[in-house]
Amino acid sequence: MIERYQFLAPDFQSKEPKELALLSLISQSFFQPFSVEDNLLVILTALTSGSGVGFNRAMLFQAAGDKLKGEVWLGPRSAEEAKTIWEVLSTPGIGYIEIIEHNRWLLNREADSLSQRIRPLAYSLNQKNLSIPALSAVRRELVLVRDARQESFIDPKFLEIINVDEFLCVPLFSREEVLGVIVLDNAYTGQAIEPKDVKLASLCGLMAGNYIYASTLHKKMLEMERMAALGEMSMFITHQIRNPLVAIAGFTDQLLNSPNDEDKKKRNLEIIRKEIKRLEELLFKLTHFLKVGTAKAVPFDLGPELQTILRSSEMKMKSKGLALQIDVEEPLPKILGNATYVGEALRNLLSNALEATAKGGRVTVQVRWESPAWVIVDIKDTGKGLSPDIKKKLFTTYFSTKDKGMGLGLLYVKRVMEACGGKIEVESEAGQGALFRLYFKTSEEGRSDA
Amino acid sequence: MKKLLIVEDEEALCLLYKEELSQEGYEVTTVYDAEKALEALNRERFDLIITDIRMPGRDGVELITQIMGLRRDIPIIINTAYESYKEDFMTWAADAYIVKSSSLDELKAKIKELLRR
Repeated sequence: MIERYQFLAPDFQSKEPKELALLSLISQSFFQPFSVEDNLLVILTALTSGSGVGFNRAMLFQAAGDKLKGEVWLGPRSAEEAKTIWEVLSTPGIGYIEIIEHNRWLLNREADSLSQRIRPLAYSLNQKNLSIPALSAVRRELVLVRDARQESFIDPKFLEIINVDEFLCVPLFSREEVLGVIVLDNAYTGQAIEPKDVKLASLCGLMAGNYIYASTLHKKMLEMERMAALGEMSMFITHQIRNPLVAIAGFTDQLLNSPNDEDKKKRNLEIIRKEIKRLEELLFKLTHFLKVGTAKAVPFDLGPELQTILRSSEMKMKSKGLALQIDVEEPLPKILGNATYVGEALRNLLSNALEATAKGGRVTVQVRWESPAWVIVDIKDTGKGLSPDIKKKLFTTYFSTKDKGMGLGLLYVKRVMEACGGKIEVESEAGQGALFRLYFKTSEEGRSDA
Repeated sequence: MKKLLIVEDEEALCLLYKEELSQEGYEVTTVYDAEKALEALNRERFDLIITDIRMPGRDGVELITQIMGLRRDIPIIINTAYESYKEDFMTWAADAYIVKSSSLDELKAKIKELLRR
C-alpha cells in the first residue's frame, strides 16, 4: 500500500505548530509565479501575522550598491488596524495567493504611510561607522536591541521613525553578498521578544536570503540566455550580409578595373543584381521574423487555414511523386495563435517534409484534440530522417541542411509556437523519417459536447 | 604554378576568388563543401587551402581537424564572414584567419606570405 501526499503548505490558520506553517509558507516562495517583491512581502507577512511568528511589524531594507535602503514597512498603522488585519490573515483556508492580494491592498492604500517613512532611509554598508540596521547586515548577525534609546550606534532618525525600545534586526545574505535586513518589532502588543522568536526569525532570514539569491541567479540566467540568442542572431545576420557584400564589391571592382571586358559586363551585373536581391530578401525575412514575437495570440479556426495550405501542398507533393495522407479530427476547438504566422509555420514544415522525402514516400498530417487544453498537429515524413547531431542543431539560427537555405525556417516555426504559448517537438532517427509535433493551446478548455 | 584549394559554399564568391586568384598566377580549384574538399585532397596535391568555417554538412573547423590529420604541411587560411570564430581554439590550428571584406588585398597578401615560407 502506498500513500500519496501533495506538497501543500499547512493552512495558515491550522492546528499545525505555527513554526511549521510559517516555514512551509516561506518555502513556497521559490515556486510561486509572483515577483520577488510580492514573495518577499509574503515572508514579511509570515513574520508579522498572529499565527506566524507573531511580530507586530516588519521593515525590509534591501542592499543597493554599497547602501542599505528602506523599501517596505509592513504592518498595521495602529492597534485597531492591527486587529482587523490579523483577523483577515487568520481566516481559515487563507493561502498564498490571498496573502499576496492582501499585501497588495495593504501597500496600495491611499497612504501607505509606513513604507513612505522608511524609504528616505539609506545606510552605508562600508565597514567604518556602521549603524543599526546596517551593522546587522554587514556582520551577518541577528541584533536584538533591548533598550534602543540608550544605544548610541542607532541612527536617531531611524529611532524616531520606529519609535520602540525593543526591535530585532535579521540580516539577509547569500554566500557572496549582503542582500538586506528585516527589522521586526512589537509596537502594539508591547510583548518582549524572546529567544525562541529570535531563533524562528533567524530561520526565516536564512530562507529569505536563499530565496532572494535564487531569484537573482534565475534572472541572471534568463538574461544570459537572451544575450546568447541575440549574439547568435547577430552572427547570423553578419554572415548573411557580408557574403553578398563581398561578391557585389568584387564583381564591381572587376568592372571598374577592366571597363572594356564586354564578356564580364553582363555576367557581373547579373551577379550583382542577384546578390542585391538576396540582401533584400534577407531584410524582408528578418523583419518578418522579428514581428512574430510581438504578434498577439487570438483564438482562430485551424481547420480552414489548414485546408488551404494542404491543397497547395498536395499539388506539389503529387508532382514529386509523394503521397499526402490527411487525418483531421472533427470537431476541433479554436486554437490560440496568429493565423498568418501559424499558417506560414505549417507551410514551412510541409515544405521541409516535401524536400526531405524521396519519390514514392509519404507525408502524413494528423490533427487531434489531445486534451481539453491542447490540439496537436503531427507532420510526419518517410524521408531521410535526422541524425542526433543534426537534431541538436535543428532550432539554431545558422543551421540548414539545404544548400541555399537561410537556416531561419525551423527557428521561425519555433518562434511562432512560443509566441502562441505552444511548443514544437521533433522525433527522428537517421533513415527513419521525421515527425514534427506542434502543440497549440485551445482557446476554451473542455469540449462543449462532452 | 602554385595550386590553391578554395572551400566556399557561396557560388558567387567561388567564381570571384577563382578569377581573381587565377589572375595572380595561381592554379585555383574551388569546392562547395568539406566532403568535396577531402576528395580533392586525396586526389591531388595542393600548396595552400583557403576555407570558410560554417558551411552545410561538415563545417570548416571539422575540416581543418581532418586536413591536419591528413597533410600537416599545407598552410591553411580561414576566410570567413564571422569575426567571432577567431577565439575558437580549433581555428588556431590554421595559419591565418581572415574576415571576408570588400577588398581582396588582405587575402592576396596572406597567400603570398604563406607560400614564401
